[in-house]
Amino acid sequence: MSLMLRILCVSGSLILLLFITSNIRRRKVQIEDSIFWVILAVALLVVAIFPRIATFTAQLLGFQAPSNFVFVVVIAILLAKLFSLSTEVSSLKHRLNELAQEEALLYKEEEEINSAREA
Amino acid sequence: MRILAIIPAYNEEECLAATVRNLEATCPEVDYLVVNDGSTDRTREICEQQGFSCVSLPINTGLSSGFQTGMKYADRHGYDAAVQFDADGQHLPQYIPVMAEAMQREDAAVVIASRTLANEAPAGARGAGSKLIAALIRVTTGKRITDPTSGMRMYNAKLIREFAHGFDLTPEPDTLAMLARRGETIVEIPAHMEERQGGESYLNLPHVVRYMARTCLSILMFQWFRK
Repeated sequence: MSLMLRILCVSGSLILLLFITSNIRRRKVQIEDSIFWVILAVALLVVAIFPRIATFTAQLLGFQAPSNFVFVVVIAILLAKLFSLSTEVSSLKHRLNELAQEEALLYKEEEEINSAREA
Repeated sequence: MRILAIIPAYNEEECLAATVRNLEATCPEVDYLVVNDGSTDRTREICEQQGFSCVSLPINTGLSSGFQTGMKYADRHGYDAAVQFDADGQHLPQYIPVMAEAMQREDAAVVIASRTLANEAPAGARGAGSKLIAALIRVTTGKRITDPTSGMRMYNAKLIREFAHGFDLTPEPDTLAMLARRGETIVEIPAHMEERQGGESYLNLPHVVRYMARTCLSILMFQWFRK
């Protein structure tokens, strides 16, 4: 892993940590949802400080360069995260629809009870 | 047989009143429920002024969810059958009793009002899409459905319950494919349909592309894995 890439990784992960912290302070993201990003930033930092981890694993798995290995791992993690966000959006949509439906049906039921009482 | 006509309405102020009046006059024995899916026009006011049977969703949630609202109502009020009925005046209420009769006679799960059987198959791009979907259903399930994109479909009590509790059941052709594959009886009756009498059509390019992509993907790939 080249020195330049290491510096890039260290500064990148530090900026990411700062960014997460400021978003939590500004109430843009819940702590629960920041766990993923904190772990990712710390992992990036560790690999940048101890590049032997990447070099060793890359060699073990037959990657030509440690940087390729780091890229592949990061891309895979991000794709997994993206898909999990899709499932979360689907679930939120479903629950939002349920809420809207139940509210509408409840209102109708109340109306029916009231008109039955008046009659 | 207690039948509920579910009329999803999103911004249908132009022809909703005429559609409901026609339904009431033609089929007084059929109950109906207008599902106002967060309309931004006067749909809600029209329902209130005219005293229509109506539920109003606080936000726009889309056709599937609007229809599901109607299915929940049908489920909770113990209806034997529910029919999808367009607010724009395309569907003619006189076919509802015919569909109900076919459902009872054939013990069918779904009855479709088919334009194709009435020699009114949709033409042009719309017809091509419909033919493609029919072919996909034919290939994947072995069943022939002549008009899968007809919006006028009647479902039995078992399917009412399923729609009411479903996660992603659309009142669309891909659900027909799934039901056909599962061995449910799907019957079609010939039916004439009118041109839409007003309101805005969903037939714009992005919507059509998304609709076809979703329908084809669902029929070709996901129907084998859905529970």
